[in-house]
Amino acid sequence: MEQQEAITVDDIRDLVRPHQVHRRAYADPEVFQLEMERIFGRMWIYLAHESQLRKPGAFFRTRLAGTEVLVTRHTDGEVYVLHNRCPHRGARMCMVDRGNSRLLNCPYHAWSFRPDGTLSTVPHKQSYPESFDMEAPENQMQRVRNVESYRGFIFATLNETPVPLTEQLGEMTDIIDNLLARAPEGEVEISESYFTLEYKGNWKLHLENAADIFHPTFVHSSSVGAAKRAPQNASRLDSDQTRTMLEANGFGIDQWEGIRLNGLPNGHSYMSNFYSKGVLVDQTEDPVMTEYKKRMVAAYGEEKAADILSVDRFNNIIYPNMILNAQHQQMRITIPLAHDRTLIRVQCFRLKGAPDEMFERAIRFLSTLASPASMIFSDDVEMLERCQAGLDRDDTPWLDFSRGLDIDRTDETGSVSGVASEMPMRVQFKAWVEMMTQEVA
Amino acid sequence: MDDATLQNKVEKFLFTEARLLDSGDFSAWLELYAPDGIYWMPSQPGQTDAKTVASIIYEDHPILSIRVQRLFEARALVLTPMPETVHMLSNIEVEDAGEDGLVRAEATFICIQYQANEQKIFSGRQRFDLLPEGDSFRIRLKRVDLLNAGGTLPLITIPF
Ligand code: FES
Ligand SMILES: [Fe+2]
Repeated sequence: MEQQEAITVDDIRDLVRPHQVHRRAYADPEVFQLEMERIFGRMWIYLAHESQLRKPGAFFRTRLAGTEVLVTRHTDGEVYVLHNRCPHRGARMCMVDRGNSRLLNCPYHAWSFRPDGTLSTVPHKQSYPESFDMEAPENQMQRVRNVESYRGFIFATLNETPVPLTEQLGEMTDIIDNLLARAPEGEVEISESYFTLEYKGNWKLHLENAADIFHPTFVHSSSVGAAKRAPQNASRLDSDQTRTMLEANGFGIDQWEGIRLNGLPNGHSYMSNFYSKGVLVDQTEDPVMTEYKKRMVAAYGEEKAADILSVDRFNNIIYPNMILNAQHQQMRITIPLAHDRTLIRVQCFRLKGAPDEMFERAIRFLSTLASPASMIFSDDVEMLERCQAGLDRDDTPWLDFSRGLDIDRTDETGSVSGVASEMPMRVQFKAWVEMMTQEVA
Repeated sequence: MDDATLQNKVEKFLFTEARLLDSGDFSAWLELYAPDGIYWMPSQPGQTDAKTVASIIYEDHPILSIRVQRLFEARALVLTPMPETVHMLSNIEVEDAGEDGLVRAEATFICIQYQANEQKIFSGRQRFDLLPEGDSFRIRLKRVDLLNAGGTLPLITIPF
């Protein structure tokens, strides 16, 4: 049998042209392995929010590159990221997504570990040889060394020599700051409830879709149409929020040309002037909004409160796996499993000090937009799966990302702006090539 | 009404609901719900709150009717081709009307969906608050607790 050559830096470079990407970027398991190594293994990856780890012993299970990890809060208040595997004989330790436990016990031979991963006890210690060292590194749960929080958002990286987290985030720290500033008390808590959806498609498809302003008109037409024909303000549950959200995806030329797209270094992007008609409720005469604004003014003063609330940035894509919507208190995380399998975790935030109804609206937003039964997101996911099916089965090599190529504008900082453009996808692939062609970290 | 008669009436009603879903008669299905009726599919096992905890579905009649309208839209991508379903209910337990006049019923269910050469299985428990009306009922509340609520879920298109 012919030995397959390992994929080279030149092969990677050849996959991305200024206006095209080769299907291999989505359909080749070998490319995926390299992504796990060079993108998800080298960049800072968001794992959890500190409000999920309030008490010592609290843990949250998630994935970092190809590894299942536990994010834990130790008794000293520090956050640790541990491989979810027992150092004794390799058993997977924790079988639930979250919980609270002062000791992590391995069910096989009952070694137990503290939340920082250090070995606490082993049963029948006397039968271990004298050389057995409870403190030896090989007897501790393996730790991810580099863990950092940006204002409550916990990131980790497998990279031993990473760039500073804030350097990777670049201008995207602004939107995390803005989310926190939207809370009159300057702090947010992540919702305890969330959805995890699995789709049969490459992780990049979800990021591209989140920056794609052309698809809503077509992909969401069934829910737009149904919402348009439905009577307004008929539901007693949500001040017309669900219907308005569904209807808002009926984009026409005004949105195609009116939504501003902004691309930044490191693969980040965001949109402004999205859902410009508002999707939460008619905010002009809404008592909840009035009370909220009152509290914002009390906390920050008139001018600063207005500044904070005027930040209009939708689908802030923090490359490679986070999509943040500050004004709707929403976040989506992309978790790659295989070249053709991805998890999406969707959550929302509570703004501390804001009226309770703001959180209730965020919860409804979350359900309407992204529940597994969502009338919106289910059609998106369907398209992601159909793209993967096409890319997997047909070997026509090139995909087109040319829209807007001649009209985008790049400024001296390297930021690109555009309208009616596939520029955010090109920005993502620029970062992709940069990361994927670095042979050493 | 004696226990057996009530049990029989409720079972008949629940089987009608299942059949309407299986036959794609979603408009008639929606008619089974009281004007203030609610369809609730929690996202978490044992969930008690639909306001501060996200639900897979928490919809009243007007929003459900948008959902039903969408099922008829030609362009609903996730519904092309239209999934075929078999809804099966079992272990039906009925509790006679309390002071509020509502008949309560619980059942286990399995729903098998077939679409584009793929079969999916959903299962769990359903709870009903039923408002007696004439010889039948209207649904005031239907709660569907999926066995895998809280886990990783596939897309849900046809209600259970
Ligand atoms: S494998 Fe964990 S204690 Fe033996
Ligand atoms: Fe979409």
